[in-house]
Amino acid sequence: MMDNIIEIDNLYYSYEDEDNYSAVIEDLNLKIERGSFTVILGHNGSGKSTLAKLLNGLYKPTGGTVKVNGMLTTDEDKEFEIKKTVGMVFQNPDNQLVASVVEEDVAFGPENLGIAPNEIRERVDYALKSVGMYEHKDSSPSRLSGGQKQRVAIAGVIAMKPQCIVLDEPTAMLDPSGRQEVIDTILKLNKEQGITVVLITHFMNEAEFADRVLVMDDGTILDDGKPADIFSKVEFLKKCGLDVPQTTELLYELSKNGFDVSRGIISAEETAEAIAKLF
Amino acid sequence: MIKDLTIGQYYPVNSLIHSLDPRFKIVLLVVLLVFTFIADNFFALGLMVAFVLVVMVISKVPFSMYLKNLKIILPILIFTMLLNLFYVADGVVLYEFWVIKITVGGISRSVFMSLRVILLIIISATLTYTTTPNDLTTAIERLCSPLRFIGLGSAVHTMSMMMTIALRFIPTLVEETEKIINAQKARGADFESGKLMQRVKAIIPILIPLLISSVRRAYDLAEAMESRCYNGGKNKTMMKQLKIKNGDIISTIVVIIFCCSIITLNIFF
Amino acid sequence: MSFLRVENLTHIYNQKTTYSRDAVSNVSFTAEKGEIIGVIGHTGSGKSTLIQHLNGLLKPDEGHIYIDGTDIWADPKKIKNFRFKVGLVFQYPEYQLFDETVYDDIAFGPKNMGMSSEEIEKTVNEIILEVGLSKDYLEKSPFDLSGGEKRRVAIAGVLAMKPEIIAFDEPTAGLDPSGRQMVTDIIRNYRDKYNATVIIVSHSMEDIAALADKILVMNKGKLQMYGTPKEVFSKGLELKEIDLSVPQVTTVFDILRKKGFNLPDNVITVDEAVKLLVNLKQEGCTND
Repeated sequence: MMDNIIEIDNLYYSYEDEDNYSAVIEDLNLKIERGSFTVILGHNGSGKSTLAKLLNGLYKPTGGTVKVNGMLTTDEDKEFEIKKTVGMVFQNPDNQLVASVVEEDVAFGPENLGIAPNEIRERVDYALKSVGMYEHKDSSPSRLSGGQKQRVAIAGVIAMKPQCIVLDEPTAMLDPSGRQEVIDTILKLNKEQGITVVLITHFMNEAEFADRVLVMDDGTILDDGKPADIFSKVEFLKKCGLDVPQTTELLYELSKNGFDVSRGIISAEETAEAIAKLF
Repeated sequence: MIKDLTIGQYYPVNSLIHSLDPRFKIVLLVVLLVFTFIADNFFALGLMVAFVLVVMVISKVPFSMYLKNLKIILPILIFTMLLNLFYVADGVVLYEFWVIKITVGGISRSVFMSLRVILLIIISATLTYTTTPNDLTTAIERLCSPLRFIGLGSAVHTMSMMMTIALRFIPTLVEETEKIINAQKARGADFESGKLMQRVKAIIPILIPLLISSVRRAYDLAEAMESRCYNGGKNKTMMKQLKIKNGDIISTIVVIIFCCSIITLNIFF
Repeated sequence: MSFLRVENLTHIYNQKTTYSRDAVSNVSFTAEKGEIIGVIGHTGSGKSTLIQHLNGLLKPDEGHIYIDGTDIWADPKKIKNFRFKVGLVFQYPEYQLFDETVYDDIAFGPKNMGMSSEEIEKTVNEIILEVGLSKDYLEKSPFDLSGGEKRRVAIAGVLAMKPEIIAFDEPTAGLDPSGRQMVTDIIRNYRDKYNATVIIVSHSMEDIAALADKILVMNKGKLQMYGTPKEVFSKGLELKEIDLSVPQVTTVFDILRKKGFNLPDNVITVDEAVKLLVNLKQEGCTND
């Protein structure tokens, strides 16, 4: 039997204050397997950020259910248990750090959970080491780069010992090296600590190492599969307003020109290899 | 302009004063502030000055830093001096012109009062120079924690959370303000010339974007805090436990002895 | 003589300020009317500092900036004139919108220039179309628009001053592909219509490859390279040393060349790459 950490059934969501009713999420069904690395791709306004906030009960479903480890996100008694299980990292690195000292910020979650001081100390050190920010523990967040701030935000979640981390466009406001830092950190947490990762993004190349890729548009999931399968559908991805990496596009164009080339590849090395095979 | 703004005045060196428990530091310095007022003659105040000088030396903060503070309050200082000089008529008259009468008593009073103001400033500056804003916030929260017994626990927590967030976001907002100013300048906005009304109007293109972005940040932060199980400070623990060290006890004893000396001097002179 | 000439520009990093800026040292380059210059460099390489000098927001510690032959700091009192000659679109410009209507916000720059209200009306009505929005938008509040629309209104606010030189700091940051395409089209159209000099700071090598006539590479405050995209991206190793990348197809071709393929080192777009590979296959077939 598959062990799912998150189960979503017939999920609907619409904003209450909107004059004209329009669903942001429509009849969405999804199961996230424990320990997996799932990437959700979608352009701005596809409903992917709303979905993220539904996963830990920050938003409550208008219809249908979201279950975390079998707990309904609408169950108020389970609120903290759910938020502790599914940690969230947001887009803007500046707007999610609370304290003006790195280690105090990381301690914020465990402090709220009422954990004993010496255990918080251990958790904070461990969390900062896992994201490679331990040597900055006494710095002020305002002195850090965007990538470093995001890693501190991830540490803040790790310190709550989550089973799953949902990252809502964590790299959208970062430069390429910051982006790489964050993606490397996420991969490491997934592979080494077995934490379930749901990464929401509009950068396709961040999906390269995922176990599973979902494509979202208009509040529903349009496609679901292995990275290679999804990436080979270049026309479809472009129609969904997604950014197709040059490598993927090159292979696609070659196949349109009558080459029998394998598709759905992102890395430059594999692309070169695939092309080399043609000659 | 805005970029000269510094938050707090923490001067990062290692000194005995820096290493004191912030709770003790606050209480001891408040006691010193109170005793600046209790000392009511030149002998007691002289001892006070000597003691504060020793504290300044131990703090390893350069005297020039303390002087900078005094420069800011120079107008208040001069005002205090003049006020006492002209209004205290006591003892031998040295100079008299129209309604102005300068007396020996006036001079001594004005020197006494200025010394008091200077001491007050230096004692408060010692606290901010030797304690990080974070430690201050923590210490104030802990010192106020007995208030929870009269039902003010959440108020204390709210205050300290507000201070923490303010400290965290001041640098961010300063940077943002600078960016917005530059962007509007690039569209030809003029903040430096014009009449008062024009200048006030010129601030609108800065204030509105700043306000909107602060509201946006506040929403984001609220969601981030909620995701990290924030519930208004109920059952909250603290990672950093303040520990009382030998230095704290010794300083307390020193301050107590000092206070007794001041009282003695007050009585005998 | 070149339209824009930067000579030995040096900006010393001032540690006293809380808002740190990156240093620029001894940078010289020229640009012509109608050229699009891409500026690339690692964060902290001095790119943003460099472009803030062009309209006099920052004053060089050493060196000069000449626009159309005039040193912009020759008379410091007249520096404001260059704010209108050189437009500057900052990163995430939509955060600087402030007025009640889109019309008023776009009109802010022209008003500061002292344009007459008829002129302003004409300009605003023209510019709103150039950024791909209809005139219906003029009466809306800028805060009711979508992210991409806000970005376009903010850019319109700078274009409305009809600057002869315009610099963009990360104009496509945070946008999705359709939004990015829209913004690059606006930039290209403005250059074509007004023959303006355009300077674009970007982290996306692919965007720069597609848009720029010349690329200026900054590293630690110094100008490392200045040349056409093909020249710059053919030096992949040198770029890697300073933590920059080349477009992905360039990397693919580099690997293929190492495998012994006879392919050029300056391929930067997918179209070129496809054409070259198709040709190579056909040649291969005829040789057999």
